[in-house]
Formats: sequence, C-alpha cells, structure tokens
Amino acid sequence: MNSPPLPSRTEDSMLRLKIRSYAKEQRQVLRTSATDALRFGLGQIWNEISELENLSAKDVSGLAARIKRRKHATAEDMYRLSHAFLQGNENINTFAGIPGAMQVLVKELSGANIQRQIDAAECFCNLSLGDAHVSEKIAALAGSYLVTYLDGKEQRLKRSCLWTLANILETCTKAAKTLLQMQLVPKLWKLYTAPPDDLNKFQTDAGTCLRLIATHSGGLVSDLDRGYIVEHLEEMSLEAQGSEYFMYILFQLEIVHAKRELSVQQAESLVNFFVGSLDSSWSAIYGVRVMVNLLANGESQLLGCLAAPEQFLAVLNRLFALRNANLNCDLLRLLKNYLSLNLVDSNLLLEQLKVYA
Amino acid sequence: MDTQLASSPSPYLLTKEQILQMLSEVPAGFMKPTVPPSPAPPPFKKLGVLVDADDIIDAKEATSNRSSNNNNYINSTQSYLCAECRRTLPTAHLLDLHIAEQHDFYFAASVERGDKPMFACYLEECGSKFHTPRQRKDHCITAHKFPVNYRFDQDHGHGKTKHKKNDESSMEVDELPAAGRKGVPYIKAFCFGHNTMRTFNTRKERQSGDTLEDVQDMKNALEDILD
Repeated sequence: MNSPPLPSRTEDSMLRLKIRSYAKEQRQVLRTSATDALRFGLGQIWNEISELENLSAKDVSGLAARIKRRKHATAEDMYRLSHAFLQGNENINTFAGIPGAMQVLVKELSGANIQRQIDAAECFCNLSLGDAHVSEKIAALAGSYLVTYLDGKEQRLKRSCLWTLANILETCTKAAKTLLQMQLVPKLWKLYTAPPDDLNKFQTDAGTCLRLIATHSGGLVSDLDRGYIVEHLEEMSLEAQGSEYFMYILFQLEIVHAKRELSVQQAESLVNFFVGSLDSSWSAIYGVRVMVNLLANGESQLLGCLAAPEQFLAVLNRLFALRNANLNCDLLRLLKNYLSLNLVDSNLLLEQLKVYA
Repeated sequence: MDTQLASSPSPYLLTKEQILQMLSEVPAGFMKPTVPPSPAPPPFKKLGVLVDADDIIDAKEATSNRSSNNNNYINSTQSYLCAECRRTLPTAHLLDLHIAEQHDFYFAASVERGDKPMFACYLEECGSKFHTPRQRKDHCITAHKFPVNYRFDQDHGHGKTKHKKNDESSMEVDELPAAGRKGVPYIKAFCFGHNTMRTFNTRKERQSGDTLEDVQDMKNALEDILD
C-alpha cells in the first residue's frame, strides 16, 4: 500500500516563507494604522478629544513671546504650540506673523538635542497645516533642515519631516519650488525605492510626497532630477509600499520621453513592472500611458517581454476585459504604436484581439 | 462543433474592421501629462501630528535620569559622530565632509596645492565641488536656497571654537609657563588687564602704607565721635 506522498522540504519552507511574509505585512499595516491614529486635520482635534485645553491666539502670542525672550523653546512650549496649531488656522497665522518666533523653532530643529529636534519637527508639521504664506516661510527658514534630515538615522524625525514636506507640497507651489532647489526629488526617490525592511518604512510617505510634486509642481522639476530618476528606475520593486504611485509619477514627470534615452535594462524593468501590476486600479491607466510613450520611441529592443506578440496580446486582452472606457482609449493608442513597429502581422494580431463593445 | 463555436464572433466583441476604424481615429506617438491629471489620484488630506504629553514626560524623565555620557551615546546612535572631535552631524555625507575638511592632512595639502576643487556641496546629490568654502557657501545659498547661517556648515562650528579660544586668550591671566602648555592651564590669579610686574616696586609699598594710615585715621575719628 502506497502512503500519500509527504510534502517535500522545499514546500514546507515555501509555506513558512509565505506565513512569515504575511505576518510581516500584517505588522506593517498595524504599525501604519497605529501611527496614523495620531494624525489629525486642522480643527479635527476638537471632535476627537473632549478634554482639550483651549489655546487661543492670545496664548500663542504669549508662548511666542516667551520662546523669543528665552531664545529657546522647552519641550512643554513646543507641545503647547503643536496643540494650538492643530486647533485652528487663526493660531497658525498669529504665530507665523510674529517676527523671530519661527526662528526659535528652527534653532531647536537644528540643535544638538535629538528629542528637541523631534519636538520642533512635529511643531512644524502642525504649522504646515496653515495657508500658502506659512508654507513659504517654513520652506525658506526650515526647508534645508527638513530635507537634510531625510538622510538621517532618527526614524521619528524623518517621518515628521516627510509629513511636513507633504503638507507644504500640497499647499504652495512657490514653497515647493524652494524645496525642489534643495534636491528634494533625489532624496525622496532614494527613500521611495529603498528595499523594504523594518528600518526603511518610509516608502509610502516618500511616494506621497513624490506624487504631490508630480501633481502640482511637475513642471518645476529640473532635468537633473529627472535624469536621477531615470538612472535609478530599476531600483523600484513591485512589492514595495506605495508602488501604486510609481507609474503615475513617471508619466506626470515625463520620465519616458523622446529626448531621454533609456537603457535596455531600464526599459525592461519598466515593462516588467507594468506586466506585474495589471489590475483595475487608477494606476493601471498611467502604466499604459508610460508604455505608450515607451513604444513611441520606436525602438523594439526596449520592449522586453512585450516584444513577443503573444505576450503583448495577452496583456491587451486582459486590460480590454476590464471594460474601462478611459483605459480603452489609451490601450488603442498603445496598440497603434505597437503596430507601427511592424513586429508582427497586424491582421493576425487584430483577429485575436478581444475588444468589448 | 467546438471549433465552429470558437470561430463564430461574439456579439459583445468588436470585429477587426471595427477595431481598425477605431484605430484610425486614435492619434499615435507620445502622450503628454495633463493638468489637472485625469484620472486624478486619490485625494490627499493635509494632516498634523498629535503630540502625546506622555512622550514629553518620558523624554524629560529620561533626560534627568541619564548621565551626560549616556546622552552622548544616544545622540551618537541616532546621528553621526566624529570620533576625533566628538562633533555630531545628522547625515553620513556631512560627516564625510567634516572628517575630510577638518581632520585629513591629505585633503589640506590638496587644498593648499589648489589645482582642483576640493570642497563638495552639502547636498550629496548635487556633486558640485569648489575651490574655497566661501564659494561653496555662496553656491548653497544661491542654487539650493540654504540659509546664510546653515548650522551644519563646516566653518560654522570651527569658527565658533576659534572665537571661543580667542575669548579665552583675550583675558589676561597669570599662568605658570610649563603647566600652561600641558593639559589644563594652571591659573595663579586673575589680574583683570593689569599684568603683575615681577620687579621691585617701591611705590606700591608706599601706597599701601598710605592706605593703612588712612584707615587708622578713620578709626580714630570714629572713636572720637562715639565718645
């Protein structure tokens, strides 16, 4: 009598690996939600916390005068200021209008004590909830330090800097221009494409900042910064957090463009990313658009696995099956660029294509 | 029969002619990004951070409990520390610049020779190099919008210590010559700008005698008044 075959050692280890990776993902999700639980929009704190110390503009003026007089801010001062900024725009405008007050916070941000740096960064994060003129002031006075700390070791400081930068990038294009001059894009790209591990968990925040740049200030990104992204295209992994922004950023920043040459490896990594992320999400459209531009280059050696007609056909059929009207327009353009390369008999390809009415 | 089913066109699928018709209406070539982007990515909501009061109390307690050595240790694990002069810097690149510019003799010799720019930009990604720290500072201010008093400027800390040293030496003190050069200077007495003259000075003795006489006179006068 033959006993049923026991699962092999490789199957066991595969299963263990899967369980481990699932547990790791779960930990990351829980950690992110725990951190995000401590985040509030402007004025939202009133609804969430009942026993809240009401801090008015007068209190903010008093605190600002106090830190100016002492030429430094204590942890309590910064804690109260942080709370005051969360409570309303009036408090933020009052503080921003007091000459020399923000400089004291900058002094704490750039000081030698790490705990004070973190407190000051969190203060700036809440201050950045204000209007465009406040963001401009933060970018001019503290921007260089916020950008510098992105390369630092302290996790909480790095995260607070990323949150502050995201708020600024969303608010004001002029402030974004100042930050972009401080080489923000390469620093963000480095964080965005860093291999995911317990120490490097800033991919989502860095991706958010990059997509805000792509949305609001894409035209301000320099050619050098775009060149940096091209050079480091291959470092992006499909499993990385925030990877849904990848194709959007590339398309909005015109990374794949007639004037910019891609190497075969770079193009191949793009194609592999595209083929691996075929789904119904909003980012799929941007993936197709990047592929449209890659094919428009007219170089068949850049197509990677899509150079094989059956592979290309399978991808097209899968995407046409999603029956998304916006996506279909871009897919037809992709098909037209592909046919213009004369890699395959067009009649043969069109006969096997499944486009839904 | 199966082959017949497979070859018969589905009513939901477009025919080759219909696809060709659609293709003729679609433009070819590159696609440009649109402003605003369509479809728009998920909306971004500006969020602040709620600082927990416990964090501040914890940090305070930790600071009071910690000795200065431990504090230095924690700072060094969270930032980059120069082993030579114990200066802490926030990034590896700034520490590299500091070590090269402050403690590397080969670097100093190369600067002295002046045949190539040696001072790298504070931003690692920039890659520009300059002949003098002044040129670098100007570059960082104009090209990268850095503040004039950028704290991690290599000259910034150096200048400060230099200034401190000058301050120390500007105050005239009597020092034992041998002890002053080794380790902690031996300060005999403060003289507040009047150097002790190591000569015979008769005038001093006379002056001191006068003062004593004055005191004696005053004492006598007081006794007279009291009587």
